Amino acid sequence: MIIALLTLPLSLLGMQQTGGGGIAARLAGRVSPEVAALVEELGTAASARGLPVDPLIQKAIEGSAKGVPSARVTAAVRLVVMQLDTAAVALREGGVVTDTLVIAAGEFAITAGLSGHDITALARTGASAQALTVGLRVAGTLSAMGVPPAENIELISTKLRSGQPASDLLLLPARVQAEVARGVTPAQAAAGLERAAAAQSRRGPPPGHGTPPPHPPAPPHP
Amino acid sequence: MSKHEFHPLVKQLLDGDITLADLPPELRAEGDEALRLLAAVDRSPVQLSAVSEHVMQAIAQRPVGSVWRRVMQPRELRLRIRPWLLAPALAIAAALIVFLRTAPTAAPASLVTVRFVLVAPEAHEVSLAGTFNQWDAHATPLIRSGPTGVWTATLTLPAGQHQYAFVVDGVRWVPDPGAPAVDDGFGRRNSVLTL
Amino acid sequence: MRRETQVTDGDIVRAVLAGDRERYAQLVERYRDRYARYAARMLGSVDAAEDAVQDAFVRAFDQLAQCKDPNKFVGWFFLILRNRCFAERRRSRAEASLEAADSVAAADRTDGGAETAERRRALQLALLALTPDQREVFVLKHVEGLSYGEIAERLSTSIPSLKMRMHRAYDKLREELREHT
Repeated sequence: MIIALLTLPLSLLGMQQTGGGGIAARLAGRVSPEVAALVEELGTAASARGLPVDPLIQKAIEGSAKGVPSARVTAAVRLVVMQLDTAAVALREGGVVTDTLVIAAGEFAITAGLSGHDITALARTGASAQALTVGLRVAGTLSAMGVPPAENIELISTKLRSGQPASDLLLLPARVQAEVARGVTPAQAAAGLERAAAAQSRRGPPPGHGTPPPHPPAPPHP
Repeated sequence: MSKHEFHPLVKQLLDGDITLADLPPELRAEGDEALRLLAAVDRSPVQLSAVSEHVMQAIAQRPVGSVWRRVMQPRELRLRIRPWLLAPALAIAAALIVFLRTAPTAAPASLVTVRFVLVAPEAHEVSLAGTFNQWDAHATPLIRSGPTGVWTATLTLPAGQHQYAFVVDGVRWVPDPGAPAVDDGFGRRNSVLTL
Repeated sequence: MRRETQVTDGDIVRAVLAGDRERYAQLVERYRDRYARYAARMLGSVDAAEDAVQDAFVRAFDQLAQCKDPNKFVGWFFLILRNRCFAERRRSRAEASLEAADSVAAADRTDGGAETAERRRALQLALLALTPDQREVFVLKHVEGLSYGEIAERLSTSIPSLKMRMHRAYDKLREELREHT
């Protein structure tokens, strides 16, 4: 079944490369000189504030690859910087010593529709930086799937507080998706999963079944 | 029989099976009452012109449809199977997805192999561009399998967050309809992959 | 390539699933008002109908990949709307009364006098006293003008069971109208 297996070398995967010196090199030939100059300027300042620069570089490259005019690319990059700042402030408010991966995950959550307040709430769960990073990514993903902020943050907070491995968090979008496929709204799906997670952490050993969210009868075909 | 019940013949009248003239004289008055009831039925049209706008606003932020059932009907739909869909689609997904995680948690060094599938019968060329290939619209072509228009590519990606889109015929940037999506800041949507 | 002159529901559903979500607006436009009246009579007010129709379209979008035959989108959509209407909690009689009066008053300006309006209002209120099953069969037959055969097909049920529901509805309506007029 597998037709092509393209294994990308890790060096191409562009994980967190920081530092002003690398910015120009990464942008060279990929964006217009004016965009490159602005991103280098914004990136150097962002880096000095402890923010990651990879999201800026990615946004600039993305805009240019999509053929977007330079003015619009720079506006989008500025927006990313603002969102990174918002995420960093929200994390600090939640008592988290900021690390660039967590901030980038927070920025994604904001892009997906969550607020600084939501990020602070997740930071206050006391989860490790690694778990919080995954929690923010998953919260953003659930938001993009239509789960409203209240149910979303409730679910992720419960999961983070339960101390379950990060891989468990990564299963949440699939579980929400499966419930939605059965006919419930994303909000109901998340609320049902939250109740099941809360019940499980109260009881300790996992029960046979979680509490499924209520759902109407599946529509039959006429 | 309660005094409120219509006579069976009057019910036939209400059903339109018989007319008032078919009723025996002693049921005419009850028949008249029944027809007055039907005359009060409000058949005036109802127009909900605001609904279109509200619906389109509501769905602007949502993923299209549900993914895993599409595996059953690949001819009609596009799909991309993600590892997190393994649970609901275990039997199918197990054949398609190879896990290469090097650690049980999402440590940065973990790798996950993901198969991307797109059904686009009329496309001449499809590729995948995203944060994992510097948004290069030519770096990761999908391969067409047979005449059905199913395009696939299998990538090994690091655990983490990725954003991407399909590029159809080199010009159309199309988000994955089966995946969650976020604004790309340029007026389009990027699909999101969380591994 | 051959192109159909009339764009079918199936064409639109497939396009939406392929990522062209803007085209969903065409389906909404096509069926919005056709089902608005059913929802309004089932729920007793135009406002409630608006919410229900809107929710049903959003839910149908969420579940679009499960529409087994895209060419039969409208039948599938109807069942989603129906579930939504059945799930609506019975509102208080006073609240329903006000809403029914409002919706009838609005409709009445064009086609009738005070007596007609009062009768319509009374019947709409009496309809709300029926079970949703009874109300539905009455609405489909006497508001939407479908035959028992068409209703049976749409709801996947038998004509005798529909008639039984309807005949109970007639009795209940008679009782309600006598008590409240």
